[in-house]
Amino acid sequence: MSTMNTPVRQTRSLRPRLGALWTYLLAISYSLLILVPVYWLVRSAFSTASQLNKVPPIWLPAPTLQNFTTLITQVPFFAYLSNSFWFSVGTTLASLAVSFLAAYAFARLEIPGSAVLLWVLTLSMALPDVGTIVPLYRILAGLHLLDTIAGLILVLSSTLAPFTVWVLVSFIKQVPYEIEEAARIDGASLAQIMWRVLLPVSMPGLVTMGLINFINAWNNLLYPLSFSTSKAAKTLSVSITEVFAGYSPWGKPWELIMAVGVVMVAPVVVLVLLSQRSIVSGLTRGAIK
Amino acid sequence: MAVSTQVSTQNNRVRRRIASAGSRRLLLFVALIAPVFLLRFATAAYPILQTIRLSFTNQDLIARTNDFIGLQNYRTMLTDSSVTGALSFTLIYVIATTILDLVVGLMIALLLNTVFFGRTFVRTINLIPWAIPTIVAGYMFRWLLDDQFGLIPYLYQLVTGDRMVVFINAWSARTAVILVQVWKDAPFIAVVLLAGLQGVGQDLYEAARVDGANALQRFWRITIPLVTPLLVTMGLFRIIWTVASFDLVYGLTFGGPGVATTVLALRIFQQGILFFKFGYASAIAVVLLLLVGVIGVLGLWLFRRTDVAY
Repeated sequence: MSTMNTPVRQTRSLRPRLGALWTYLLAISYSLLILVPVYWLVRSAFSTASQLNKVPPIWLPAPTLQNFTTLITQVPFFAYLSNSFWFSVGTTLASLAVSFLAAYAFARLEIPGSAVLLWVLTLSMALPDVGTIVPLYRILAGLHLLDTIAGLILVLSSTLAPFTVWVLVSFIKQVPYEIEEAARIDGASLAQIMWRVLLPVSMPGLVTMGLINFINAWNNLLYPLSFSTSKAAKTLSVSITEVFAGYSPWGKPWELIMAVGVVMVAPVVVLVLLSQRSIVSGLTRGAIK
Repeated sequence: MAVSTQVSTQNNRVRRRIASAGSRRLLLFVALIAPVFLLRFATAAYPILQTIRLSFTNQDLIARTNDFIGLQNYRTMLTDSSVTGALSFTLIYVIATTILDLVVGLMIALLLNTVFFGRTFVRTINLIPWAIPTIVAGYMFRWLLDDQFGLIPYLYQLVTGDRMVVFINAWSARTAVILVQVWKDAPFIAVVLLAGLQGVGQDLYEAARVDGANALQRFWRITIPLVTPLLVTMGLFRIIWTVASFDLVYGLTFGGPGVATTVLALRIFQQGILFFKFGYASAIAVVLLLLVGVIGVLGLWLFRRTDVAY
C-alpha cells in the first residue's frame, strides 16, 4: 500500500506545477500573439517614414505626431471622422428602435405563426449583403440617398436588425411578465408600458446590442465603400483604403495608413476594455440562445 | 328560456370581447413588427430578387447596354478564370478558416477556462482581435508581413536565416489570408465556447476523475460531446459570414497575386461597383447566393443530427 501511495503522491504534487508552467507559457504566448501586432500598429503610427524603413526594426521609436498632422492637412480627416461617428450612432439608434419594437412583439404577443416569422427574420441574416449592393446602389440613387449618411444608416441598420431582434427577444423574455401586468392594471397604455416599464428593465440588453451594433457600424467597410463617393459620406474605413492607394517616395505610406488605423482601433478597443462583460453576454446569448 | 338566451348573449359578448382582444393583439403585433420587416424587405429581399433578374441582363453603365441576354452571363462565367478561381478560393478559404477557427477557438477557450494568475487580463484582451476593424487588420498584417521592412519576415530571418516573401507567391498569400482570418475570428469563437464550457458542471469532471479517466479521456468523452452542438452552430454562423465577406482580402492582398486570393464577394464588388457591370456582377452574386443556400441546407441537416444526438 505504502509503496504504491508514494509515487502517486509525487505525481500529484508535481503535475499541477508542470500544468501551471504550460498554462503560463501558453497564456503569455497567446497574449503576445494578440498584443504584438497591435503594438506594431501603434508604434508605426507614431513613427516617421524613415524610422519605419530600418532593418533591424526600431522597437521603441521616439514618438511623433507628424503623421496625424499630415493626415489633417492632406485629407478631409475630420469630415471622415465625424461621418464615421454619426453613421455609427445613427445605425445603433435606428437598429435598436426597430428591433426593440419587433422584439417586444415576438417576446410578448405570441400569435399563431409568430415563431415562423421570427425564424424568417433570423434566416434573412444569411442573405449575403454583398449580393445586394448592385440593386441597393440603384435604389439609393433613386431615393437620392446615394452618398449620404442617412442612406448608409438605412441599409446597415437593416443588416444588423435580425441579430438584434434575436438577442433582444431573449432579454425581454427574462423580464418577469408581472411587472407589465401590474402597470396594465394601474391603467398604463401600451406606449407607457413600453417606454416607462419595459425600456428601463431591458436596458442591459439594449446597451449590449447598442455596443455591438456601434462596433459593427464603425468597422463596416462594404456600404460606405460602395455607396459613398465624396467627403459627404465617406467614413474612416474608406479613408484608410484611399491612403493605402496613395504612394510616397518610400513606397506605401505605412506610417499614415497605420495612423488612420490607430484612430479607427482606439475607440473600439476602449469600448471593449470598458464593457467586456456586457458585450460577451450579448455575443454568447446570440449563439447559445 | 329567458335564462338560456341571457346566458347565450353573455357568452356572445365574452366571445366578441375575446375576439376583439385577439384582433387588437394581432393588429398590435403587425404594427410592431412592420418597421423591421419593411426594412428587411426593402434592403434585402427585394434587392436579392432584383439581383436575380439583373443576372439575366447585360446591364452596364459604362458600355450603356441593358438587354435581356438569358444565360449568357453564366456561360461567360464558366470560362472566366477570375470567377472560377474566385469560387475555388472561396471554398478553400471558408473551409480552412472554419476548421481552424473551431480548433484554435476551442484551444483558446480551454486555456481561458483554466485557473491562472492574470486570467481576467487575457480574457479581456482576447476580445481585441474581434473588435479591430477587419480592414485595419488587413493592412496591419500586410505591413507586418512586408518583405522589406515587415516585423514577421525580420523575425523569421533571425530564426531560420531565410528570406520570407509572402505576397508574391499564390499559396503563401493564401496561407496568410487564412491565418490572419483565424487570428481575427478564433478569439470570438473562444468567447462563445468558453460560455459553453462554464456551463459544464465541475462535478462531472470530478466524477470521471474518480472513475479513473485521464485528462485526454475527459476531454474526448466529456468536453467534446458537450461543446459539439455549439461548434456546429458557430461553424455555420462563421461560414455564412465569411463566405460573403471581402474586407480582409481587400486590405491584405486585394485578391492578388493575380487573382490567387480573390473571393467571390470581392469579384462582385469589383465588377459591380468599380466597373459598373451590373448584369455580370449580379450573375456572380447569384452563384454566391446558391453557395450560401447549399451551405445553409447542409448546415441545418448537420445541426439537426447533432441536436438529435444530444
